[in-house]
Amino acid sequence: MTISIFQAIILGLFASLSSMPGLGGTSIGNYTLGRPLIGGLICGLVLGDVPTGIMVGAAMQVVYIALVTPGGTVSADVRAVSYIGIPLAMLAVKSYGLDPASAKGVALATSFGTMVGTVGTVLFYGTATMNLIWQHMGWKWVDKREYKKLYLVDMVFPWISHIIFSLVPTVIMCMLGSDVVETIKKTLPMDGIPMKTLFTVGALLPCVGIAILLKQIVRSAKDFVPYLFGFALAASMGLNLVSATVVAGMFAIVIFELKMLQLKKPAVAAGGQSLDDDDEEDI
Amino acid sequence: MAEKKLSKKALSKSFHNWYYGNLTCFSQEHMQTFGYLCSMLPLVEELYDDEDKKAEAMDTYRAFFNTEPQLGAVVVGITAGLEEARANGNEEVDAEAINGLRAGLMGPIAGIGDSLVVGTVIPILLGIAMGMSTGGSPLGAIFYIIVWNLFAYFGMKFLYKKGYEMGTKAVEFLVGDVGVAIREAVSTLGGIVIGAVSATWISVKTSFQLVNSNGEPYMVLQEKLDSVFPGMLTALVVFFCWWLMAKKKLSPLKVMLLLVVIALLGVLVGFFDPGLKY
Repeated sequence: MTISIFQAIILGLFASLSSMPGLGGTSIGNYTLGRPLIGGLICGLVLGDVPTGIMVGAAMQVVYIALVTPGGTVSADVRAVSYIGIPLAMLAVKSYGLDPASAKGVALATSFGTMVGTVGTVLFYGTATMNLIWQHMGWKWVDKREYKKLYLVDMVFPWISHIIFSLVPTVIMCMLGSDVVETIKKTLPMDGIPMKTLFTVGALLPCVGIAILLKQIVRSAKDFVPYLFGFALAASMGLNLVSATVVAGMFAIVIFELKMLQLKKPAVAAGGQSLDDDDEEDI
Repeated sequence: MAEKKLSKKALSKSFHNWYYGNLTCFSQEHMQTFGYLCSMLPLVEELYDDEDKKAEAMDTYRAFFNTEPQLGAVVVGITAGLEEARANGNEEVDAEAINGLRAGLMGPIAGIGDSLVVGTVIPILLGIAMGMSTGGSPLGAIFYIIVWNLFAYFGMKFLYKKGYEMGTKAVEFLVGDVGVAIREAVSTLGGIVIGAVSATWISVKTSFQLVNSNGEPYMVLQEKLDSVFPGMLTALVVFFCWWLMAKKKLSPLKVMLLLVVIALLGVLVGFFDPGLKY
């Protein structure tokens, strides 16, 4: 499997649309095209192997399932994960002759993708810094009351930042990709310590992604129970994800109704004051 | 003088400028400020004919703005209503009042938005989508593209409209009692789905075993652990990562590096062995 310059440019355009301050907008760009699962579909379509793209994308999706960027600090860059990491991981999986659906295929894809995603944060800071130029021009236009030009600042000029920091790096990395993968394959034997470590890391990394998400939900030990409940639904009871979501939805409805009852209680108590007084006298 | 009323067309243009452009020109210094300016521009142009008044209005929105962009649509809607009131000569609404409100809302909205939208809704949808992706089927990805985008577009549109019509009352729904109940229910839903995602997609396995004198393994650790709670080792590693980040305050990157070290040590002592061969 190789990537032609034409395919690389298409991937570069998607990288420009999808990155954190992306030109597809937040909903379509970052939160849709930037998600590795969707990136997997796009890369699969562009490179002509949808099943491999989806499997590699899904494997990486676990690591980045809760990619939140509070205050604009990022620990990974979605454009690099989805449009550099996934194509390279697809090349690697193919080159090693692994089944992308197997644990090994998933592990290799994950460690490749995460490495690229982490290094890719450079692209995030590059784009954001270059946008300062357009914003500087923007303030001057606001001073001169040439407001229409704000659209240029917000929606047109950032393309230049993205051609430099999204499109070009994606094209270069994708073009070099197959050579890099071949070199790694030649220098690092499969049964050596580095490769074993790489595969093991690939199996461990998704745990960080899940933990980032749990940090948002879990405040005390009891909050771990829903997580373990879901875990048991899939691991012990063999439910698939859609069925597990239905079960989870049932619990969510129960919790919502309970909360609403709790909220109604003060009103009821105020209405039935005498009843409450009686209770207190009994004690 | 007739009361000024924003046209549907101007409101729609303002909304779409926000929907698309909230972060397109992102920098660490100004974040969503330019997106905000672009979404107020159609409104300001319609409300004011006088160039000085126009400039006064636009200058209001030069102030820094950053929040979670999907829920943030409600703030833009509220300021649309406020700007209309200002154009109609309401003395109480001035630049200071508008910016005080914006600054006061952006923190709480970002907090709720990050945990509700990015931390719960998106992972749940992705979890379902991944369940539909077995064997490399594109069905899951297509499902996510359609459902998330319909949810985001119409959800943001609804919030913008409510913000414009109800003003600050629209926020009370989000931070109020019903909002809290919804968030609690959805976060439990998220927790369960994420548990199922972990069990389905992550597989941390140990190759550690004890062998008797005949070379036959009599204690295979992986089997023992799985007989207690299937997938226990995966759950333990997730818990460990959570503990490092939540309690030890390590950054995700440091945790990842630590895992590389653990993987290397584990491979060296034979605790981990991915079973690679040619």
